[in-house]
Amino acid sequence: MRVTAPGAHSAIDAVWKFESARIIAGLTRMVHDVGLAEELAQDALVAALEQWPTQGVPDNPGAWLMTAAKRRAVDHFRRSERMARKHGEFARTLEQQGAEERDFEERVDDDVLRLMFVSCHPVLPADARAALTLRLLGGLTAAEIASAFLVSEQAVAQRIARAKRVLAEERIPFELPPGPELAGRLSSVLEVIYLIFNEGYTATSGDDLMRPSLCLEALRLGRLLAELAPRQAEVHGLVALMEIQASRGAARTGPSGEPVQLHEQNRARWDQLLIRRGFAAMLRAREVGGPPGPYVLQAAIAVSHAQARTADETDWRQIAALYDALIRLVPSPVVQLNRAVALGMAYGPQAGLDVVDTLTADPALKDYHLLSVVRGDLLTRLGRHAEAAPEFERAAALTRNAPERAFLLRRAADAPTRTAGVTLGGAVRDFLAREDLGAATVRSYGQTLHRLCLDLGPRTALADVTAGQVGRVFAVTWGATAAPTWNRHRAAVRSFSSWASVADLAADVERRLEDRTGRPALGAGQLDALWRMPAVPLRERTLWRIVFESGAGAAKVLSVNVEDLDLTARCARVTAEGRTASVPVSWRSGAARLLPALVGGRTRGPLFLADRRPAPARTPAPADLCPDTGRGRLSYERAEYLFKQATKHLDPTGTGYTLSQLATSRRRL
Amino acid sequence: MRFLLTSTSDKSHDEALFAEMGKFVEELTKTGVLLATGGMELGGSFITSAGGEITVTDGPFTEAKEAVGGYALIEVQSKEEAMELSRRFLKIIGDGETLMRQLF
Repeated sequence: MRVTAPGAHSAIDAVWKFESARIIAGLTRMVHDVGLAEELAQDALVAALEQWPTQGVPDNPGAWLMTAAKRRAVDHFRRSERMARKHGEFARTLEQQGAEERDFEERVDDDVLRLMFVSCHPVLPADARAALTLRLLGGLTAAEIASAFLVSEQAVAQRIARAKRVLAEERIPFELPPGPELAGRLSSVLEVIYLIFNEGYTATSGDDLMRPSLCLEALRLGRLLAELAPRQAEVHGLVALMEIQASRGAARTGPSGEPVQLHEQNRARWDQLLIRRGFAAMLRAREVGGPPGPYVLQAAIAVSHAQARTADETDWRQIAALYDALIRLVPSPVVQLNRAVALGMAYGPQAGLDVVDTLTADPALKDYHLLSVVRGDLLTRLGRHAEAAPEFERAAALTRNAPERAFLLRRAADAPTRTAGVTLGGAVRDFLAREDLGAATVRSYGQTLHRLCLDLGPRTALADVTAGQVGRVFAVTWGATAAPTWNRHRAAVRSFSSWASVADLAADVERRLEDRTGRPALGAGQLDALWRMPAVPLRERTLWRIVFESGAGAAKVLSVNVEDLDLTARCARVTAEGRTASVPVSWRSGAARLLPALVGGRTRGPLFLADRRPAPARTPAPADLCPDTGRGRLSYERAEYLFKQATKHLDPTGTGYTLSQLATSRRRL
Repeated sequence: MRFLLTSTSDKSHDEALFAEMGKFVEELTKTGVLLATGGMELGGSFITSAGGEITVTDGPFTEAKEAVGGYALIEVQSKEEAMELSRRFLKIIGDGETLMRQLF
């Protein structure tokens, strides 16, 4: 096809979107490094951008790109002398592959599936998984991902780079997870796809209620996964759920972009094609069989809605029963909230409100605007309009979505209210406008008092506010904060109460004892268990010992070089670039016993090294590279991750301890 | 974005074409862009309304005897992606024409 130059560029972009996942997946199997594979594929794309506008798009553009990328892989290994021996094998492998093209076609599906598992691997932070998946499987550029998630392009590029580094450092194998692990790993993949879908569907922020292209991207990923892993009911469940939710796309916003709730939607605008696809996916899930998982149950709920020709025909009892089953599998407050809605429809608003009122004390929902929307709806149906209005106001203040905010404010204004005398909002405004408060104090008091207004309603009469209500706001909103923060909010309320000449509204809020270390230091018993832990590698044991015995920050300890060590004086003077640290890191007998073995024969370079050499394309600065082994310096993130992982079973909260907790522990003993 | 592609081809529909087409459809299904596809009669009926009067004209409208007709309903992110798929489609069915229209 002959096309003009700008046309060729967009044609290449289109080809890339269809082919990049297969190319990157195939390359990853060859080079065993996702990051490197992606870079090689990008190189091939650059070559296409140079050649296709003048020579035309080749007949089989995917094969062209794959061949170009393989050629670059060979060049890459030829340049890399260290890999000299390996490259011989590699080049031979590639030559054989020419003859095994058909074989490749068959294997590439598995490779794409492997790539999905890798890019959704639980070692990666959740936001990095979504970005990496869109990048590797969807062929999106960093700029496209950035605009989809409303973050900067640089932030996306950093997330992706960090994700690739973690995958390399963790040596995540390019394999399908073995049987027992498969279910857990698959749920991570499904979670990422659904997160992408929801980011598009509910558009948590910005001016659009929906970003359809992101929904479509998630649907594509889900449909792809359903073909690659057809024996997994939950995959079909997720696809069914997304198809049916997407089918309501056109009906769920009104003419000026405001949200239209499910029971008010014009069902003629539901996309019957997508609904039927959803039903078909649901049938496939049933064919696979087994007890229904969370996605199959959610899809069943969506199917039930889709089957009702009018809102009145909705089988709310069936939906409530499905939520009962779902809450047993996913006991999350958000599911509970949806269950309350179903109960409210099936058995009357009071039944729903009874469940909702158990959720208002849950800190996880403290900033979740839909809790207030649902509570406001139920109160309205019960005729309790005066209580409903502040709920809609609260929801409006919490949502980040502009059309939704306008809609909620209208609902708040529609609800008839009664207010006599001074309102909470008015008093707070006057209090903060006082001339004798400094700007910093106003800001600090403002944080506290605005939250009170948000949760209790600015139009509530000041005289009606009780210390009990304030106590509940404190418990939900700041219950998990450190003592100084808690006490600062408490002081603000006390000051406000005395200015307004009302009884102390903080009377139910206990002052907390302040401890300056943040998360608590480890106790003697925990430390003992830590040091007795079996099979801890020498590097980790030494690092933990030095951090504990020196009390220095882990970042500083990691910056120690072998040449900085004074083993007899048991200290190291860290010489960072351009400056000499004044306070040396010094340790005691525990670390002193371990250090000689860790140093081995090394004379210079980072003391703590990463597990393997960096990929050639991501070589760190020379100062962070061991001149003898070519390995890079152990990163803080990695060290912290390993420490958390190792101490998970010791920590009662199950998250694992941090290195800074360890660093403060000796001072406490 | 949704596009409806309708194609006619002069190539006679033999086994090889069906096999190749089947593979292509499978591939498209896998990438998640193909919503519906199938064969299409080339004739059909042409229904016009003029001055409130309905006129029906029955096909065929083309001369080719062994021509193949088909349609594909696809969902893609851009017009370029739809173009790329049309190109691949024509690659398989040989000389012929495809009409690509965006659906709203």
